[in-house]
Amino acid sequence: MAGGTKRDYDGNARKKTPQQQQQPRGRFHAMFENIRDELDEHYDRRERVIKASRDVTAQSKKMVKELNKDFPDDIQQDVDTRLKEIAKLLSPIVADVQSINRYRYGYSLRCLEELVEALSFAHYLRHQKVITLEETQAATPADILLTPHDYMFGLFDLFGELMRFATVTTAQSGKLVGDHERNILSDIQELGCSFEMLPQMPTKDFKGKMEVMRQSINKVEKLGYGLVVRGSERPKGWVPDMKDDVPRPASPV
Amino acid sequence: MSAPPPPTLLDPSIFASLEAKLEEETQIRDAISQLVQRLDRSVATAQGLLSRVHSTPRARYPQLVAQVESAVKDEAAIITELDKVASQHPYYKYNHKWTRSVQHAIGTAIYCAWLGGFPPKAPKSEDASAEAPSSSTSKEAEIGRLLTLEEVGAIFSVPTNLKSRDAFHLTIEEYLLSLADLTSDLSRLATNAVTLGDFQLPLTISAFVKDLFAGFQLLNLKNDIIRKRADGVKYEVKRVEDVVYDLSLRGLIKRPEAAAEADTEMEAAE
Repeated sequence: MAGGTKRDYDGNARKKTPQQQQQPRGRFHAMFENIRDELDEHYDRRERVIKASRDVTAQSKKMVKELNKDFPDDIQQDVDTRLKEIAKLLSPIVADVQSINRYRYGYSLRCLEELVEALSFAHYLRHQKVITLEETQAATPADILLTPHDYMFGLFDLFGELMRFATVTTAQSGKLVGDHERNILSDIQELGCSFEMLPQMPTKDFKGKMEVMRQSINKVEKLGYGLVVRGSERPKGWVPDMKDDVPRPASPV
Repeated sequence: MSAPPPPTLLDPSIFASLEAKLEEETQIRDAISQLVQRLDRSVATAQGLLSRVHSTPRARYPQLVAQVESAVKDEAAIITELDKVASQHPYYKYNHKWTRSVQHAIGTAIYCAWLGGFPPKAPKSEDASAEAPSSSTSKEAEIGRLLTLEEVGAIFSVPTNLKSRDAFHLTIEEYLLSLADLTSDLSRLATNAVTLGDFQLPLTISAFVKDLFAGFQLLNLKNDIIRKRADGVKYEVKRVEDVVYDLSLRGLIKRPEAAAEADTEMEAAE
């Protein structure tokens, strides 16, 4: 560090003696300044990504909420409004998450999982099909690469939405939504089986998602059971009380 | 929902491709794990050799340094293999698997150079200010030289601090953490050098560790691991200062101008 001028007792600047210690100090200084600039750049970038990600997460959650509430009107319109917002939020950080930085900030960019969840739910409501990775990528309103990880973990979250949707529609209509060949219960079971057959990843994230998935499937199965066993006794608008046997609150309202 | 639902919920390609991805990932992880295990063993060898420095008089550093240099070259060979495997995949997807081992490998190279290993190459002219005071005796290797991240990259034949290309490289974070590791071992060395009768080495270490600390102070660190380790450097500075203090108190070191001035600075600070 090139500190201030040293002065003697009378206040006259002291002549700098060629000190051994000051030589390497100057050298490290330049290097650390360099490192500081690099790190600042990285921290700023991460900050931008985190902020955008938080807002995109909020928008995605709102999209899901509206899909649940307004079903089946105006799905397209709701989705489009939200996607426009999300496009606005993501566009400033597109440059920050290209190439090597896509995975570097993968954890900070978890909003993409929420987005996949919202898109897949909208897709299911419209087409009664599970969205593919390519379709999700095409629907993502920014030039940001969706990783298989984003896609898979987004699909995991779809189970929660399907479960809520099944609960609400069953309460409203008194039957499981769907036609005689397929209904929401058989769909959620089929999707669940596909996940069960995947090679299991040894990560905490994956195991946790699998567990939540099984709970969601179980809740919809209980709905189906309730309809058969107590269907005739059940008043319209009845929602099964499942709070006691599951850790997560099941009521959508 | 008026349209009849399509006969199938799932496009079979969805889970087929997810399964393939997951299996591929498992294979990559296994391959990387094996390389990292080998690297760890190699690093342990180099670290073991380096730990002998604490019982080696300075005159015998060159022999020790030669051994460490060759151990670091063994590490470099494994890192080259790791580079080949890792560069085929997104760097930050798997880097958590090797970052700690690579950090320790960087540490061995830096320590080795500090003790006089890996002398700067002739064509690549070193900084004018890089001349260490002890190099007046030309035969003696320069002690206290700090390798830059780029120089470490050259020793391991891998790029450093890549930003626009997605491939294996050494990161700034790994470098900084290895510097923190180095300060803690140098503070131990200061004590042991005195035990071996080398009263000058603690002065070199003291200047070096203080300069590193001053460098760390320049960084705007977030609340992360680098911050934690950088904060720890000041305790190493103090440990070395205590050794220097003990020596000067008993008149065991000559008091050149610089040392005398450093002492008055310390007094003034208190």
